[in-house]
Amino acid sequence: MQEDFHYYATYCAAFIAGYSHEESLDIAYSAQFVDQCSRTLLAKIKGPSEAATTQLQLELMDARTDPVGLQDITRIWSAFHFLPRDLLAEKKKCCRLYREKYRLICGPNGDLVKKTVELAKDRPLQSVGIAMHVLADTWAHANFAGTPSLVINNTNFVFYELLYEGDGFKERPVQFRHKTSAPDDLDKGIYTNTLYQNNEHSIMNLGHGRAGHFPDYSFARYRYLPAWGEYGEIIKDNPADYLKAFTQMIYSMKYIRGEKESFETGVYDMEAVSPWLDRIRGILEKRQLLACDDWKAFGEELSGQAVEDFVIDKYFDEYVKSPKKEKDETFIGKFAHGAVAHKGMVISEIRRSGNRLAGNVKGTLAGLWKGARG
Amino acid sequence: MTLLQRIRNAIFGSLTLLAAILFIAYPTDEAYVFIIAVLTLGLTIRGIREIVFYFFMARHMAGGKMILVEGVIILDFALLTGSLSDVPHIYILLYLIAIHAFSGVVEVLRAMEARRTVSGPWKMKFSHGIVNFLLAFCCLVFIRQVHTALIIYSIGLLYSSLMRIAGAFRRTTFILIK
Repeated sequence: MQEDFHYYATYCAAFIAGYSHEESLDIAYSAQFVDQCSRTLLAKIKGPSEAATTQLQLELMDARTDPVGLQDITRIWSAFHFLPRDLLAEKKKCCRLYREKYRLICGPNGDLVKKTVELAKDRPLQSVGIAMHVLADTWAHANFAGTPSLVINNTNFVFYELLYEGDGFKERPVQFRHKTSAPDDLDKGIYTNTLYQNNEHSIMNLGHGRAGHFPDYSFARYRYLPAWGEYGEIIKDNPADYLKAFTQMIYSMKYIRGEKESFETGVYDMEAVSPWLDRIRGILEKRQLLACDDWKAFGEELSGQAVEDFVIDKYFDEYVKSPKKEKDETFIGKFAHGAVAHKGMVISEIRRSGNRLAGNVKGTLAGLWKGARG
Repeated sequence: MTLLQRIRNAIFGSLTLLAAILFIAYPTDEAYVFIIAVLTLGLTIRGIREIVFYFFMARHMAGGKMILVEGVIILDFALLTGSLSDVPHIYILLYLIAIHAFSGVVEVLRAMEARRTVSGPWKMKFSHGIVNFLLAFCCLVFIRQVHTALIIYSIGLLYSSLMRIAGAFRRTTFILIK
């Protein structure tokens, strides 16, 4: 997902869930900041590197792909962008390494989503934002894994976009290219993806890189052949999935606010969006590279207040200028604690399932996690 | 590509470049046997690695059989190459002509396919195909010369060394996932 959903749509969901305008902005900022908080950025503001929630292109290009380096990549991408759906998923007649990778495939409504939302309850708004980012990405990034793997994440020529025609859909082959300098061409159906690399651990095989940004577009409907699916095709309906993501965010934030007693997976608050259902569906279906303006207009209509644009350094000064002892009480400090707590929980659960790909929670991360758990 | 991989590629490319120049300047029978041995060893390791990767991982992957086929073909080439140390040079040249002509056809076809599906970079593939055709043509023209095989191989080595060095400094782009 992109800034349109992680920032503006999250603001709308938070406001519908009952948060104030200011609180919704903080949740939206935190949700979008997950896509920005790299080690490079944390080094710049002297924050804890363990709190990194993403990796920059340059960081990935220099990332090691030995077992330790792969664990580092997997911790970040599995925890924050490709939350595994089923850590105990069965796959017969395969070796342990393959099964471990298979179990990291992302998807919605898994046990870890429930744990993610429950972890954010009774915590600062920053943790709520992080949880909303993770939850939303389980819908957009479904069927790809947050670890570099050719045998899981590769895609091939069986990749068709489904376009409206009359009462049904027609299929158009998706054309991929490796030209990052040119934007995706939505009219011609040409999208940028990563190069095919037959090295299992190449960084090109991380997540949905082989399908480019295409899975991130809310309007996208497509049919393709996942590498892991034993030649079974998948039809992905993003407008329907993104609506579920939006309504699940509202439901989960109502739970976090204490309006619901428990959080259950597979529950969507459709009632809360019923007055604006056509409007929301219209935004999700519209073919555009970014839907920021539409979501922003919707958010401003909801709250009656101006929704400021996402400014990455909004809270940097507060953090940088705070004395060391008070840093934890700043916005970025609380975000870092929330990120470490979430990362620790996910790594710990992956390890508990017997999967070695994300390593163990130990050292500084364990200390910070325990501190964050209180 | 990490910085370390770039440095490794640049150093390896420079060494093979140096070897290729030496082989062209001083073509001897010892150099020929040495090349055959190195080529056999390298291809064997690569072929076995691909076959093992298929049986443990890629057999579950859509299109994974291509990796098995690739591994078997590479291993086959390794064995064939190893057997070339004790046959008349004319057969080696015929082998080289067949290999380069076949590679040339495959590369050009793949370049055309890449161009059609806008999945580039087709120009690089196309130039590889043309170079392979040229090498096959040279083998045919100089079939009576004693050291033709060694020189042709060295030219190929020269080309791949330069490509490897250039690749080490090339930007590798990929999609940053949001």
